Amino acid sequence: MKNMDEIGSILNAVLGKTGGYEASALYYRQQRLATRFADNAITQNLGGSEEYIRLTLGQEGRRGSASTNKLDADSLASLIKRAEAICGDVAPDPEYMPPLPQQEFPQLSGRFCEETASLTPADLAARVGEVAALAAAENYRASGIITADHSRTVLANSAGLHASDDVTEFKVSSTMHGPKGSGHGSAAANLAAKVDLRAAAGKALATAIAAQNPVDIKPGDYDVIFEPGAVWSLLLFLAFNLDAREAEEGVSAFTDLVGEKVFDERVNLGLRLDDPNLSPPPFALNGLATRPVEWVRDGILQRLNHTRYWAGQKGVEADPEVVPLYMAGEDRSTADLIANCERGLLVKRLWYIRYVDRKELLLTGMTRDGLFRIEDGRVVEPVKNLRFNESPLVFLKNVCGLSRTERVDSWEKAVVPAVMSREFTFDSKTESL
Amino acid sequence: MKEFIDLALDVANAAGAAFADMRVVEKRENVIFVERRSLKQLDEYESSGYGVRVLLDGAWGFASSTELNRESVIATAQLAVAMARASATVPQAQPASMAPSPACTDTIVSPCLEDPFAVPNAEKADLLLSACDRMLNVQDVVMAWGMLHFIRMRRVIGNTDGSRLDLTHTVSHPMLEAVAAVGGESQVRNYTDGASQAGYEFIRSSDLLGNSERWAEEAVMKCKADDCPVGKMDLVLSPSHLALTIHESVGHPTELDRILGWEANMAGKSFVEPGFVGEYQYGSDIINFTAGNELVGGLGTWGYDDDGVKLHDFPVVRNGKLVALGCTRETAPLVGWSKSNGCCRADGFASVPINRIPNLYLEPGTDDSVTADDLIADVERGIYIEGRGSFSIDQMRNNFQFGGDLFWLIEGGKRVRPLKKVTYQSQTTSFWRSCDGMAGRHDWRPFGLMNCGKGEPGQVMRMTHGASTCRFRNIDVGGAKL
Repeated sequence: MKNMDEIGSILNAVLGKTGGYEASALYYRQQRLATRFADNAITQNLGGSEEYIRLTLGQEGRRGSASTNKLDADSLASLIKRAEAICGDVAPDPEYMPPLPQQEFPQLSGRFCEETASLTPADLAARVGEVAALAAAENYRASGIITADHSRTVLANSAGLHASDDVTEFKVSSTMHGPKGSGHGSAAANLAAKVDLRAAAGKALATAIAAQNPVDIKPGDYDVIFEPGAVWSLLLFLAFNLDAREAEEGVSAFTDLVGEKVFDERVNLGLRLDDPNLSPPPFALNGLATRPVEWVRDGILQRLNHTRYWAGQKGVEADPEVVPLYMAGEDRSTADLIANCERGLLVKRLWYIRYVDRKELLLTGMTRDGLFRIEDGRVVEPVKNLRFNESPLVFLKNVCGLSRTERVDSWEKAVVPAVMSREFTFDSKTESL
Repeated sequence: MKEFIDLALDVANAAGAAFADMRVVEKRENVIFVERRSLKQLDEYESSGYGVRVLLDGAWGFASSTELNRESVIATAQLAVAMARASATVPQAQPASMAPSPACTDTIVSPCLEDPFAVPNAEKADLLLSACDRMLNVQDVVMAWGMLHFIRMRRVIGNTDGSRLDLTHTVSHPMLEAVAAVGGESQVRNYTDGASQAGYEFIRSSDLLGNSERWAEEAVMKCKADDCPVGKMDLVLSPSHLALTIHESVGHPTELDRILGWEANMAGKSFVEPGFVGEYQYGSDIINFTAGNELVGGLGTWGYDDDGVKLHDFPVVRNGKLVALGCTRETAPLVGWSKSNGCCRADGFASVPINRIPNLYLEPGTDDSVTADDLIADVERGIYIEGRGSFSIDQMRNNFQFGGDLFWLIEGGKRVRPLKKVTYQSQTTSFWRSCDGMAGRHDWRPFGLMNCGKGEPGQVMRMTHGASTCRFRNIDVGGAKL
């Protein structure tokens, strides 16, 4: 892997040949090991790395970009020519934003770990072996993936901005199947040592065992306890709808709601830099420094996400990325939430969530890998999977309990609690196990 | 390139591999994205790299790199060997093997009448800016966006069977969407004809500019339309809508790797079992699905898959009965089949080829005189649906809920007024068994789908579906709380 000095030299050489333009260059490299398994055996085993440079040139409001994964001198010269040709070929953009000057980037710890970056194929296979053995001991079938990634991102531009980030990620995701039901467990951290593989796989197995032979349940409105992974599956759609401009144009569920109490007062959503389980990247890919943001405080919508252009129009500070999202929890466990639930459903995982109506933020999706009926504060039996048509707005408005937070990692990263909420609408069932 | 492929295969052979291949992928992409009246993105991406697969001691290893030189090729092949050896420590019950496939040498360049990479970017940007401007000039349209995406991918494949393939295809994909807001309501309307393996001629034939105003007006119309009714109703579904229904409820359930449980952790499994082949009534007797590997313009018309299998059309459902599953050289032997039907594909050099949906289409009705209006005429109360909207199906590919892009209430055999927020729910085989009417060949349309996600780490694949307008009886409509 190229070191920071080598990358800096490459980017400076590229930027040095783009005189007359406002230029931004992005270098990205990922080194990955990924071991997939199914039926308690490794089915795919992947290793390798890739890198690329993306160059964006601007001039008098015109903008063009080109990228390449060949970093030799000829390829870089060709990259510059292509970006120049694209930039010179188009009309000015009325919303063009010039490159940012140097920012003050937060110093974030715990993002990189040499031990994680140095894991070998044999290391990952040994971990898969542990998961497979756990399943095989109960005559269950484990499937899933373990990954170890090391990514390096460097930004530089003609306005003097320079930023770099090294991050490692270690993830395990496993689903265990028995004859009549399944369970899922996952864990992720920047440092492999912080991932409790046996706990994640053990959770998948325990859920699968408990989920066998689910009974029928009628669709309807239920009090629910969503485990953190299910919470994030739903909130991801909410996060993607926090755009300030869309709200002003009347096409978003958050139109005219800034300053309003939208959710239960226990709901606090934002971007934090100080959570030990998930430090965000120090910058967005447009160069904006990451900073703490409060989207929702005590159930009141505080602000919406402003792009650089829209922030300029509105005279407010531009926001970096919405994710990773942080949702505050309370000092109790999921088991405590269950103990406080008279009648309801425990939802382990959601699947195939899509918009039904974007303006209302109405979503559909299904439960999978364990759905359980709760009665008088106890999980009493597994039930068959259900389809929901519901909005995360309603889910957060009806909150009646939160657990401690956990890091979750599905498509994007977040730290969220388990959430207990009233009257969540399931409107059909699926026989699939 | 041949020298490097031979070098990688030598490393694998020296390690005792039962099979190995090297796949060099060169990819060029051009993306033009306009939002409102702003050209947000004009990008050209170029990448190249290679992946080496090694089957050793009944286990697989895969490694990739972007550095195509002697030293790196050897290191990458050695890493693939190490990955295979690591895999063998947690072995499959039945050691992995490859169904035989004849060695092939071929060079294919897909049809491309007008090179999209040679069309000036300014022309492409102006097309989108003009189309968005026309849409934004329609009263109550508050947002519009459009994108043109072009891909040229060259795959050079060599394997230890002796195959040497050089395969290039070009893809053109337009998108356009209008967003209207009326009162507290907001609705969208999209371009609905998908993508094609073709050059810029496909963009010209799509007439984005000519249709943009109509699409914008239809977005406004949807805002003012009645909400979806609730109850059991007949549905008349257009080809642009059926593409996704076919994809989710027929394409994915008939992937053999999913049936074997290899995607159980994320994408899910299937209600289909290998023993269903030749026995299972998937749909009514007018339902005939074909894997159209030779479909002209089909996004999956690759000539050869990444296993080096020469691609041909094959039937998947005939007269409603399931007659085949999509398989690869690796999955076929696991259910006792002697050869692959060519469904092994990767989305790039750094991805492991996996079992994928090929082009998959519904054959048109046998009576060419039947039109979509004829199907509607025989509906007392129902809904006509065009285009893609909400779509969601369970992890066994059984229970589903679909929306669409444009909806008309049918009463007394006629389309009477537009609707919005329509959803319908059904289960895969009861849905396809309820199909009792199908328009003829003249109504048949392909739809190229660009974004089929599968695998871990996730891969995005392209394939084309197709159908004539079909009628389905007695489907649950309007289950979603509005």
